[in-house]
Amino acid sequence: MATVPALEKPPAALAETPAEQPKKGFRKYWHLYAAISPFYLLFLAFGLIPVGFSFYVSLHRWDGLGSMEWAGLSQYQYLLSDSDFWSSVGNTILIWALATFPMIFLAMVTAVMLNSAVRFKNVYRLAYFLPNVTSVVAIAIVFGSVFSTNFGLVNALLQAVGLDQVAWLNTPWGIKIAIATLMTWQWTGYNAIIFLAGLQTVPSELYEAARMDGAGPVQTFFRVTLPLMRPVLLFVLVISTVTGLQSFSEPQVLLQNTANESTFSGGPGHAGRTMVLYFFQQTFDNNDFGYGAAVAWGVFLVVILFSIINWRLVRRRGED
Amino acid sequence: MRLSRRGLLRAGLAGTAATALGGLASGCAVPTGSTGRHMVLWYWDGGLGDTVLEKAKARYDRSVDLQAIKIGGYYRSKLITTMAGRAHIPDIAGLKGEDMASYLPNADQFVDLRTLGADKYRSQYLPWKWDQGIADDGTMVGFPIDCGPVAHFYQRAVFQKAGLPYEPADVSSELNTWEKFFGAGERLKKRIPGTYLLSDVNAVFENVVLQGSKRYVDKDRHFIGDQEHVRTAWDLAVEAKRRGIVSDLVTGTPDQLSAVQDGKLPSQLGASWATNDIKSGVPKTKGRWRVADMPVRPSNNGGSFLSITKACREPERAFAIITWLLDTENQAQGFVDAGLFPSTPASYGLKQLREPDPFFGGQVTMDVFGPAAQKIAVAYNSPFDVALGQPIKDEIKNVGVLGKDPKKAWSDAMSKCRRIAEHLGVSY
Repeated sequence: MATVPALEKPPAALAETPAEQPKKGFRKYWHLYAAISPFYLLFLAFGLIPVGFSFYVSLHRWDGLGSMEWAGLSQYQYLLSDSDFWSSVGNTILIWALATFPMIFLAMVTAVMLNSAVRFKNVYRLAYFLPNVTSVVAIAIVFGSVFSTNFGLVNALLQAVGLDQVAWLNTPWGIKIAIATLMTWQWTGYNAIIFLAGLQTVPSELYEAARMDGAGPVQTFFRVTLPLMRPVLLFVLVISTVTGLQSFSEPQVLLQNTANESTFSGGPGHAGRTMVLYFFQQTFDNNDFGYGAAVAWGVFLVVILFSIINWRLVRRRGED
Repeated sequence: MRLSRRGLLRAGLAGTAATALGGLASGCAVPTGSTGRHMVLWYWDGGLGDTVLEKAKARYDRSVDLQAIKIGGYYRSKLITTMAGRAHIPDIAGLKGEDMASYLPNADQFVDLRTLGADKYRSQYLPWKWDQGIADDGTMVGFPIDCGPVAHFYQRAVFQKAGLPYEPADVSSELNTWEKFFGAGERLKKRIPGTYLLSDVNAVFENVVLQGSKRYVDKDRHFIGDQEHVRTAWDLAVEAKRRGIVSDLVTGTPDQLSAVQDGKLPSQLGASWATNDIKSGVPKTKGRWRVADMPVRPSNNGGSFLSITKACREPERAFAIITWLLDTENQAQGFVDAGLFPSTPASYGLKQLREPDPFFGGQVTMDVFGPAAQKIAVAYNSPFDVALGQPIKDEIKNVGVLGKDPKKAWSDAMSKCRRIAEHLGVSY
């Protein structure tokens, strides 16, 4: 209690001498600013300045080495009319949707199962989390074999149940499904752990009350668990959107060819060319850094747009 | 509590300041390039022979500290960013052949090797290779490391079984046109069902383009990808597809490798460095392969250069190191170390290069690659070739893999090229 008046006093002093205060405040608290400065300095050097620079580059024509040439908004103008960019946006969204919705469903199921598991809880958690900390490149190489036409595991399974082989990495839909499967596999465990954390915050009294009112397990899940999980669901959706819309390594490694060919082309028909892959191709294959930067800003806007949509969707449902 | 918190703050602050100062200090110590004592060389895995570099380090140890750094990942982007950042630029930088066209417009970032007396060495190197290292304004940027003459790799037993010529000399002389080559493919497929002569149509398209002296954009920044030389390559690739001699496999995938191993893909048009890819990709095929001339005339695929950057403080010394690293003797060693095909014709006669290769059934592959390397056409490579060649390569791939209508694919490729050309300021 003794600290309360002490806290109240400074605002009063502030009101009395407003002109003197800012200087004094900084002098008084400079060591606090200094203490939190490392993050901001690093963010400035590796976050803000590069972001600003990429915008500056996007207003120029630049091959990455020579002198820059002012281009105004022409890179953005070309971006709007570039059918390759829009098709890469389409690819990304399709792959994202194919990956995210099954992933969220599976993660939720996994989380509920983990939550009720009695034995080896930590072993399961570790096992589900492991794919997420495995290198994407390694996973993509393994998935390349899993989805290969003649000797892949997937086609072996298809044939075992009497279906035809599918040339997964050679057909537009096959490519998208293969990439989406890879992403689903990688992220299900991670999100399951987050859901699990969410599940554990649901007070057990609510479950007890639901049971007393005669609700079955399914009803309990949809009426009690899911509504309370909405913030967690939102978090998972936003994170999946931000990472899923920036997928790069997955298609790049999965569809890369011999050393001599472009590794950013995204396979036959560019079916696996995502936005970030297109940005890389423009920047590093074509040496068109100006346009590459414009593409990167295009990617940024699409990601922002989707995050807002997600946020609105989940929040509105929460308000109803 | 308060005291210790303050102490903590002070410690944190001191730490931050020390880091910042340390960063500044180290930034100042090596601003660009290096001091005279250090000589930093950038290359990539397999870009130079390891034995040669070891020897160079020992040889120049008294005058410089030669630090050869193997750069992993996407080499060009790392070199470009470092040079654009104007700090820690290597003194000597390897430049990959396929990137050469994009470095040449920025020749002012490199030391003109002619000013260091490069012309003296000219006669020892393949003339077409030498010219590739020279920019439009005459600045010599790159000193030749290796080259990649393309030849026809095939599995002898499979060819024999299909009733095709199977000795290297016969394959070279009898499959010397695309027509005869495709004919052999049809015969192969008929005799041994499920067997294809080539993996994909791009093998035909890209090699035909590489055989010629023109690419996609000319010196005057004009798009020429719609002209006869590309059209011919396109038509040949489409014909290969129509006659059914290409597989639907993607190069480098497990499917393709296993088909190669099983003799279902007994043939490929590959550069000299493909020897290593075959040896590591399908080691079980040892002894089955032979090498012959490719149809019509040899082409070149790949091969790199060494350059001296403007950041180098001692260009003369760097140049002495480069010319030693890449002399006739060491180029032969580079071939032994890393399969780098020498750009010095005098190396071809040396003993190390004339070893019979058991992987090729004891064939002396130099008999094919050596003469091929000397018959390559001089071509102009534009910095816009990558951007304007890609749509055409993509569309021919769609024809080959997805079965797209060739007419539609060609017009799609051309309209895409027109759009990109306009964007890049290339006249169409």
